[in-house]
Amino acid sequence: MSTALTWTAIIILFAAGVYFVALMERWSFSGRLDWAGPLHAFLRAFGQEEIRTRRYDTVFYEATPIIFIAVVLLAVAILPFAQGTILLDLGTAALFINAALVYIMVSLIMAGWSANGAYGMIGGWRAMAQLIAYSMAVVMAITAAVMRAESMGMLEVVRSQAPLWNIIYQPVGFLLFYFAVMAMAFLPPFDLPVAEGELAGGAWAEFTGARKILFRLGRLLLVLTLALAVTVFFLGGWLGPWLPDFVWTFIKTALVAASFFWVGRWLPRIRHDHLLEWGWKYAVPAALFNIVQVGIQLLL
Amino acid sequence: MMELQITLLMVIGLIAIWFGWRVFRTNSMVRSAFSLLASMVAIGGMFLVMEAEFLGVLQIMMMGTEMSIMAIFMMMYMMDPGGLGQMDMTHQEKPSIVAAVVTGGLALGVILLTNWGDIVPAAPAPAQQNHDLGMEVMQRSMMIFESAGTSILTAMVAALATALIIHNNNQKEH
Repeated sequence: MSTALTWTAIIILFAAGVYFVALMERWSFSGRLDWAGPLHAFLRAFGQEEIRTRRYDTVFYEATPIIFIAVVLLAVAILPFAQGTILLDLGTAALFINAALVYIMVSLIMAGWSANGAYGMIGGWRAMAQLIAYSMAVVMAITAAVMRAESMGMLEVVRSQAPLWNIIYQPVGFLLFYFAVMAMAFLPPFDLPVAEGELAGGAWAEFTGARKILFRLGRLLLVLTLALAVTVFFLGGWLGPWLPDFVWTFIKTALVAASFFWVGRWLPRIRHDHLLEWGWKYAVPAALFNIVQVGIQLLL
Repeated sequence: MMELQITLLMVIGLIAIWFGWRVFRTNSMVRSAFSLLASMVAIGGMFLVMEAEFLGVLQIMMMGTEMSIMAIFMMMYMMDPGGLGQMDMTHQEKPSIVAAVVTGGLALGVILLTNWGDIVPAAPAPAQQNHDLGMEVMQRSMMIFESAGTSILTAMVAALATALIIHNNNQKEH
């Protein structure tokens, strides 16, 4: 297939993926597949009145939704969809994805702070506490995957999984990365920063209309991007028989994204002190164990 | 190509300085912290322009977390974190001006008097740089990194120890 055609197919599949994530998100709350739901929500938000709080921080308030969506797009750019089909083949891609996604947290703090509202501010700072809980698990799981590939390039990470996918080679790393990225995307049960029913939307509580749409769209892109990251780091990326490479990438990504919401539907929201406790007392030792295990397997 | 890089370097450098100046032009602790973050990200951008990809990405990643943590600590300790109460943040103005001029002069002296060598026409490929950096950290500079790591660990343990509630039987628990 020609390059242009492949990219067109990828863009269409990616857009379909965003719709699929929106659909699954609604399913995770209602238990029903509301096919027109995402479209209705989108149109409703467009017609919504733009409400601003008193004495809000103009620069932060206007910049935050754009930062949120921009960093997600930067993270997508370094993930491969197929053999050689990647927007930016960086030599430090494994580090770059984490660097970009740290700014999700920065954006949430800015959103929470700028609106000059109590719920927003609590949500914003919760996002930071959450980062302290999950970031070690993310970075150390990536480290083990990079150790096996002997490269921080994403194409190498996938190629290294040709004999055996990382989910089998380093199952502990997979579990850590899987739950840590769920916390990174603040999906239930880790949805502390936006906590519906508790903080009334948290960091985004005071955002309406077009800005809210940007956040919602950014979140959908973020979930899809992180599902793609799980696929690339642990599920062998584009590797698979018969079908074209990028089709395999999207099948795996969609399954991972769906599983995020399925897990979130059945688990209660975790308390933030428990999250930090789990992150540091159990996830960090497990991540160290994973690195040692991979190291031994590589030396054998 | 070289001219483009130098121009970009200067532009991003000016952005870094501008945000660095903004840090002191606001009374809001969070605005101040995030201005510093923007300045640090610009410095990360300078590394990227100089083709030091690993350093650039690392700088951008680390600063995102560090400045946010700094922001929450400043917010906790300052009496007027939002800057809405018009509290004056400046103090000891004359000594700080003197300190700034002296350190600025020293930095300028180091820049002008150091023999920087010839401009390297091409940096090694990013993957090669990562490899070289790994070798450096694991060989010649290992001792320095290990001591830095141990110091940070000690500081973390000490910080946790100060936050612990020590149960003393002689005192009534609250």
